[in-house]
Amino acid sequence: MGVVSVYMFPVPEGKSGQQVVESLQKSIELLGATKTGNFCVDCETFQTSIQNTQQRQVNILHSSDHPASCFAILDAGTCLVADSLFDGLMQKLKHYYQQRKGSKIESKGQRYEFGDFVFKVGSVSLASSFKGILLEIEYCPCIIAGDCWGLLKEMASSIVGNVAEQQPNVIKNKLEHVYTTADTMCQYLEHFNNYKKQTIPPTAVSTGR
Amino acid sequence: MENTFSVGLKHNIAPHQEFLLQGSILDSHKEVLLHRLRGLCDNAEKAPEPFYDHEMVFMLRGATAQQNPVLFRVRRSVEPRDDTSWHIRYLGTSEVGDKSRHTLVRACFDVACSNNVVQFLNEMGFKLDHEYCVKGYFFHKGRMKVTVSKIFRMAPSGGSDINTQEAMSHSHLVELSVVAPAGQEQIADDMKNFAEQLKPLIQLEKVDQKRLSVQ
Repeated sequence: MGVVSVYMFPVPEGKSGQQVVESLQKSIELLGATKTGNFCVDCETFQTSIQNTQQRQVNILHSSDHPASCFAILDAGTCLVADSLFDGLMQKLKHYYQQRKGSKIESKGQRYEFGDFVFKVGSVSLASSFKGILLEIEYCPCIIAGDCWGLLKEMASSIVGNVAEQQPNVIKNKLEHVYTTADTMCQYLEHFNNYKKQTIPPTAVSTGR
Repeated sequence: MENTFSVGLKHNIAPHQEFLLQGSILDSHKEVLLHRLRGLCDNAEKAPEPFYDHEMVFMLRGATAQQNPVLFRVRRSVEPRDDTSWHIRYLGTSEVGDKSRHTLVRACFDVACSNNVVQFLNEMGFKLDHEYCVKGYFFHKGRMKVTVSKIFRMAPSGGSDINTQEAMSHSHLVELSVVAPAGQEQIADDMKNFAEQLKPLIQLEKVDQKRLSVQ
């Protein structure tokens, strides 16, 4: 467990998600990284069902790297790390918090190891429609983001380019503190929310004639 | 990805049903019971394992009648102070059943969690309903768990120093419980047999909690 940075990898116009994922995987393999299996991070959103009260949201995230845990993140950013049985508790709250329909979003793909680094190339899908690509880069030997940001940035910039300059908000706020998986989940949630906000690209409207 | 919880439920390996027998013993006879339990339970050569927990009961209340309040019990160890001991416990409605069933049965979820759970529940809309401290001893025999404990009111200052706290009664609560996957009714017979061995020192029974709340 080290420090993680998650980047949104752009899909240029005229290329399919699959093509970009493949070329990204190829460039990581060219570095000398070895495939070490698959990974998946998923997120479900629960919303208050009571009217006339303040709207609240609970996001429940799971990560295949931590199969016995469940990460519950509130709007305010408070992240509770709990046993995966927490999903059962959410079912008990169904009169208060209801799962938002079609809110299930996940990032799924190949995991690579390269020396002290771990790469995860994930295709993001919302209700089984492709949304984009997320690249996760982890530097394993360090748990203080401030101490290894330079290294992480250098590695990232060789793959994602200038985007690597920008620190994820989670890392910016706790450069001197111990980095945990909860922070990684917050980064994923931020990206997932951005994908959800994205308007569906206008498709060619046929007149039907 | 299918989460481990739903996999656990599907294959019926997630423990979520609690079988429970309860009783009480006067403080003056506690030592005799501890001695007896030490002989009957596993690890007889070791001294009984003490525990001292703080429990906070949080309630989520709805505006409409169909929304029954939901209670989450948050517990942590006070002595030894341990940040990894935080957990949430959800207890369902107890089923007393008929005479053929020897124990009380209720849904039970024990979920270990991080130490920011109090802040998390408050932000989710839960309110602290009541809190207390429990101090006692813990035994196990196979998968049966026996606790002999005393309940204390929280000190008005909010401190958890046991010397300043007021005991609720002059007796100890004795609980025999097993949390198991659904449908393992035979465990109730094992518990009944074990309870028989503690007679006449203590009578462990299924206590109908609905009747207690009415009185």
